[in-house]
Amino acid sequence: MTIRLNVIDLPKSDYTGGLTSLCAGCGHNQISNVVINAAWENGIKPHQIAKMSGIGCSSKTPAYFLGKAHGFNTVHGRMPSVSTGARMTNTDLKVLAVSGDGDSASIGIGQFIHAIRRNVNMVYIIENNGVYGLTKGQYSATVEKGSKKKKGLVNETQPIDMCKLAVNLGATFVARSFSGAKKQLTSLLKAALSHDGISIIDVISPCVTFANNDESFRSYNYVKGNETELHVYDYIPHFSPVEQVDIPAGEYEDIEMHDGSILRLETVGKGHDSSNPVAALTAIHEAEIVSKHVTGLLYYDPDRPSLSQSMNLSDTPLCQLSEEDMRPDESSLDEILAHLRG
Amino acid sequence: MEPIVNDFSISIATVNGTGSQSANLILLQTLFDMGVPVSGKNLFPSNISGLPTWYILRVSNRGYQAPGDRVHIQVMMNKDTWEKDLDNCLPGTVIIYNTDIKMPAPEKEGCIIYGAAMTKMARSINPKLARMIANMAYIGVLADLLSLDQAILESAVSKQFNGKEKAISINVQAINMAREWSAENIEKQDPYTIEAAEKDPDAFFTNGNEAIALGSIYGGITMLPWYPITPSTGIAEGVATWLPRLRQDKDGKATCAIIQSEDELAAVGMVVGAGWAGGRAMTCTSGPGISLMSEFIGLAYFAEVPGVIWDVNRTGPSTGLPTRTQQGDLSMLYEASHGDTKFPVLIPGNMEECFEFAWRAFDYAEQLQTIVFGFSDLDLGMNQWSCKDFKYPDQPMNRGKILRTQEELDAVENYGRYRDVDGDGIPYRTLPGSGLAPYLTRGTGRDEDGNYSEDPKVYHKNMQRLKKKINGARTILPQPLQRLEKEREVGIVYYGSMETTIQEIDDQLEATGLMVSQCRVRALPLSPEVEKFIAEHDTTIILEINRDGQLYGIVRKEIPIDLVPKVHSVAYSDGLPPRARIYSDLILETLRGCGYDN
Ligand SMILES: Cc1ncc(C[n+]2csc(CCOP(=O)(O)OP(=O)(O)O)c2C)c(N)n1
Ligand code: SF4
Ligand SMILES: [Mg+2]
Repeated sequence: MTIRLNVIDLPKSDYTGGLTSLCAGCGHNQISNVVINAAWENGIKPHQIAKMSGIGCSSKTPAYFLGKAHGFNTVHGRMPSVSTGARMTNTDLKVLAVSGDGDSASIGIGQFIHAIRRNVNMVYIIENNGVYGLTKGQYSATVEKGSKKKKGLVNETQPIDMCKLAVNLGATFVARSFSGAKKQLTSLLKAALSHDGISIIDVISPCVTFANNDESFRSYNYVKGNETELHVYDYIPHFSPVEQVDIPAGEYEDIEMHDGSILRLETVGKGHDSSNPVAALTAIHEAEIVSKHVTGLLYYDPDRPSLSQSMNLSDTPLCQLSEEDMRPDESSLDEILAHLRG
Repeated sequence: MEPIVNDFSISIATVNGTGSQSANLILLQTLFDMGVPVSGKNLFPSNISGLPTWYILRVSNRGYQAPGDRVHIQVMMNKDTWEKDLDNCLPGTVIIYNTDIKMPAPEKEGCIIYGAAMTKMARSINPKLARMIANMAYIGVLADLLSLDQAILESAVSKQFNGKEKAISINVQAINMAREWSAENIEKQDPYTIEAAEKDPDAFFTNGNEAIALGSIYGGITMLPWYPITPSTGIAEGVATWLPRLRQDKDGKATCAIIQSEDELAAVGMVVGAGWAGGRAMTCTSGPGISLMSEFIGLAYFAEVPGVIWDVNRTGPSTGLPTRTQQGDLSMLYEASHGDTKFPVLIPGNMEECFEFAWRAFDYAEQLQTIVFGFSDLDLGMNQWSCKDFKYPDQPMNRGKILRTQEELDAVENYGRYRDVDGDGIPYRTLPGSGLAPYLTRGTGRDEDGNYSEDPKVYHKNMQRLKKKINGARTILPQPLQRLEKEREVGIVYYGSMETTIQEIDDQLEATGLMVSQCRVRALPLSPEVEKFIAEHDTTIILEINRDGQLYGIVRKEIPIDLVPKVHSVAYSDGLPPRARIYSDLILETLRGCGYDN
């Protein structure tokens, strides 16, 4: 058997990670596989990557890909600041960060916003399932208005659309995709990994265990047609991931979920001008009106300087500076003292 | 009348935002440059403009730096505090007031009262700036009454206004006008006077924030994320001011990243990220910021990430008295965050130590792979203090156990990110980007190799190792400074800014016949020397500027139980810098309670 190598002669096995402990069928696992693929296909040295995450099921995934890279599973909602500190300290690092919708749209929304504002050099994936998976299924702030839990109340609050927000804040790379859209997501991620600035990728990633409401079209109702109430909290259903989809530009497709519910995805048209923020917002709003999720590269601005560029940092990563570079010499202190003594 | 030379306090009551700070600093600098031992305390409000401010100048032959027991000269420039300021004047006080303020002329039995039309004088020089320049008029009156050196006074004005010709000339003009007017019109009836002395050519004025900023730069800081909060802001501003001159590489590029973050959560997050990636990161804040940072601080403790956090303590809890001082954060720093933690805390007591501890903090943080706190307060941080020297670091940087190459990694037998291979509780670490023994840093339980684990034995063993690591710091960190009396009767343990008052307290106690030994704690966890000091003395008082005796609580917990009855707390806090009399009285009262008769 021949082993396929990438452009830097590494097998894909150099990009894999530990065994996942997430629920079988969880969208997040599919995203991990895409990360492995994209990094391998891009020929990035795995150790050059810093895997960053917050807290949540989604944020556990850095353990499941790129085992040859250092990673940091930080605190809930505050991965962006740790990423900023790490990236400014080592400008050779490629920061690949994973977060959840709870992590980024609620507790961490401030850091999400400010990472965008600074244009931190990082890929920022939001694994968006509309719920807090790890704390067992509460609604997140991205869940659609009108969503209803089987046993709970209807969600009456307005969702936060992370892509809209990102475009409005001037993020330099904004995309939306779906965990099952392997081909699209891989190419988006590969593009993002090549972008010097912040890349926001909002990935719809169904939670097969807790997003058990009927009336949201992005979710599953795994007990549909089954009157018996099986779903005590600890019950983890075993599904295989939804089928892969590949939707051509400008078209949409209904994706049938395990439970028979439908996720309607549309790919931005070939004519979409991704350099135009108004076009990006229009595409999102128009899709929303007809209950679709528009996917693809929505907005891209390669020209805005990234944080490390605008800070004019030393070419030598700060973590590699010599003591000579870090500690001014004794005569400089004598000069300061002379100045202070007036 | 016997003159009283170089031994009195001046209180200047003004409205903040009127330029009185410049006037007060000119007076302070003049006295300092005349070689007179002097200290200045700015008691300012949490407000940009319009609220009362007092500036307390203490001239003291004995070198006392705390505000004294009483005011000898009261300058009254603020209508709103007029009556209160007058009320506070004890018999014998000299009152200098601005007759242009629409308030009844002060009358007070036994006081010596001088009035001058300060606003009118100022208006005659520049009507638009009259309110500002009026403050120079009290400097002029004081210059005359106290016989200040005119040339030195003018050079102090020039220093204050950074050589800006126009500002210097207007202000000098105002000072001179008032000085001449005073010479002609005020008949001096008070005994207070200033005599120039030999000035130490090495001495200069600085503040703790500036000293810490410079120390950090010489400590090799590579990242400063920060969020503004009084009284710590001066540290970040100091670093930003000096950095371009001191820390550019050969291409003129920055070797330290400064980011004004969105809040303290982000500031400390960036410190943690930078420390993890192999940088020397620091942030500065005050109590409210530490509260916000707590979760990250616990992560850094558990994941063993180096970083430095300076807490310039202000009066808490909550917003409290944001422009006043306290030692109220000590126990919070020592045991910051949730779960079992403990952190090294460096506690400077003067400017020289602010500089020294600031550069050393990075060495300790990297050596111990943890957050190291610096503990300063508003009094040290924002007031001007005399300083002799900033000593250039006498040791090369200690970057700790970082493995940078495969050879270094191979040389460590049985390497594991969290394995104690050297027996000191400190593991080795590799950096992201190196590809060397990659691991996922996390706040969850993990085994010695860094792999996720919830095993009770693994957790327990790891926590015991962390404890051992921090305990090891007891002999590494700055050791206490002691002054021992022959008779080991009463000992006083104190720390931080109390250093500025301890001599006066000691003298007051001595006047009652009580000779006390002193032990100034300069770091937590406590050095074994502190326990020795307590064991050697019959009674030990722990003296601090807070309500509950925070160091006392820590000491009690850490000394053998049989020593506990020997230790007593004297703690007092009202937001103002410590005044010696309050503490010496409390010490005497406490000792009486222990059976001493004084
Ligand atoms: C400060 C803090 N608050 C609360 C929690 C509990 N918590 C853990 S994960 C989580 C929500 C995660 O949701 P999301 O980011 O959407 O991730 P998912 O599990 O859905 O992938 C919460 C609230 C925490 N870990 N830390
Ligand atoms: S609970 Fe939901 S989000 Fe978490 S692992 Fe299971 S399926 Fe995935
Ligand atoms: Mg979620």
